[in-house]
Amino acid sequence: MKMKKFINSPENITKELLEGFASAHRDLVTLRPGNMVVNNRLEKANRVTIVTQGGAGHEPALSGFVGDGMVDVSVVGDIFSAPGPKACLEAIKFADRGKGVLFVVLNHAGDMLTGDLTMRQAAKEGLHVVRVVTQEDVSNTPREDSGNRRGLVGCVPTFKIAAAAAAEGKSLEEVAAAARRFADNMATLAVAVRGATHPSTGIALADLGEDEMEVGMGQHGEGGGGRRQPMKGADETAEIMLNVLLADLSIRAGERVMLILNGAGATTLMELFIIYRRCEQLLKAKNVEIAANYVGELLTVQEQAGFQMFLARMDDELLRYWNAPCNTPYLKKKNFPAETAPG
Amino acid sequence: MLLTKESLFSMFRFVALLWQENTVHLSEIDSRFGDGDHGVTIGKMAAMILSRLNERQDESAKEFIESLGSGCMEIAGGSAGPLYGVLLEGFAGPLPCGDTEIDAATLKTMFSSARSALFEITKARVGDKTLMDVLIPATEAAEKAPDDVLSILRAAAAAAYQGVRETENQVSKFGRARNYGEKTLGTPDVGAVSTALLFKGFQRGIEQHVLDC
Repeated sequence: MKMKKFINSPENITKELLEGFASAHRDLVTLRPGNMVVNNRLEKANRVTIVTQGGAGHEPALSGFVGDGMVDVSVVGDIFSAPGPKACLEAIKFADRGKGVLFVVLNHAGDMLTGDLTMRQAAKEGLHVVRVVTQEDVSNTPREDSGNRRGLVGCVPTFKIAAAAAAEGKSLEEVAAAARRFADNMATLAVAVRGATHPSTGIALADLGEDEMEVGMGQHGEGGGGRRQPMKGADETAEIMLNVLLADLSIRAGERVMLILNGAGATTLMELFIIYRRCEQLLKAKNVEIAANYVGELLTVQEQAGFQMFLARMDDELLRYWNAPCNTPYLKKKNFPAETAPG
Repeated sequence: MLLTKESLFSMFRFVALLWQENTVHLSEIDSRFGDGDHGVTIGKMAAMILSRLNERQDESAKEFIESLGSGCMEIAGGSAGPLYGVLLEGFAGPLPCGDTEIDAATLKTMFSSARSALFEITKARVGDKTLMDVLIPATEAAEKAPDDVLSILRAAAAAAYQGVRETENQVSKFGRARNYGEKTLGTPDVGAVSTALLFKGFQRGIEQHVLDC
């Protein structure tokens, strides 16, 4: 049960972290009852709004992306645990500005169950809401069985794509279609070299040996795919992972992609840049253009060491959405022309 | 005998106590193939039950069990909150409004109703290594038991225990554990364990209540 974490009592972690987060970013977000993190400019929104839900402990995700151009309301559960359907239903009602709500759910058992019950009640009450599920972990099951793929970092760019479509004044159905088109063309693979400790229980979530890495780790350090192997260097790891993603998406020469390297919490930016450099070399050799990118921490798993490599097929419309302005605590974009600022 | 409101309160008090005693054990099982916090969620539900037992003594049996279901739904605890919320709301379903004592036939329909409610929200069935491996056999045992509330709750608890043992020989097909496949052999499903504790609590609660009378 001993762990080196700066917490007070385990049962107050979520409450205290949300209080601190909302205070630190009071210019952009407000914390409301029911663990709702709300975009300060929601009231002025005259468009489709975006709601998401998920457990805490993955900071900056998900609430770090609440703000104009991404998420309007994020409903936060306890550590790694979905909030209940009641809170989600309240959030959807709160977020609706008359144009309908897109409800983005990551494919994890608890999140999906909460999402199902929320949608069922929303239908009974006649709410105008469409759900989009992000499920892009290639490690545990083939693309044909994508209903069983886990949702990893891909939810973050999906928020961005959906919100930019909404900002252009598109209807809820059009916004959902854009988000789904992006989500259907994304893939993520994770690697872990050291596991996380559950901050509420102090229980270690993986027991990787000092010379081992596991390709195919889930969001919470749970395995899956079971590809434990001896630790490899940056270039070799990058190549193994990138090839899996390219094959899964059937990316061909001449295509454009978005590449995200998402640190799991304890892997340095130094390492991520070394990996990124190799990915770019490999993609260049295959004549695949990185038209959008992000390197850093978007969705973490406590002090897990490792990263998620995310790849998505892009086109002009999706790139326009990705490059549209947004102003959230952990992702900001100004409207630079694409040629001066790829990614 | 009939189930009075007092015996029902006793049943849920024992559920809460059993759950509290087992939080560390449940988190330990969950840490093998899940994210290691099922005991945390179960502990929150136990605390919620105990506080409602203190606050809500005036309500009818139906209102009381429904309030526990809705309390579970409000707990931010991944799958377990909504699953127990649906289970308890289903369990309360057949009860009439207002004050009433529950007879054996009604108690049997409460089990069937809980099972139907879960059938609506999950595709998991017997053999998939989930709480359904406890709920389904416990419900069948309750339905087949003699028309006597004590026999019904004993039969359900015994079948629930057997259901947990069965999950040790199964491969996970749902939830996070699914990704571990055959590695899950030998470990019981943690949701099955907490559900069996629910039925064990029902049995202990009614037995204690009989002794007290």
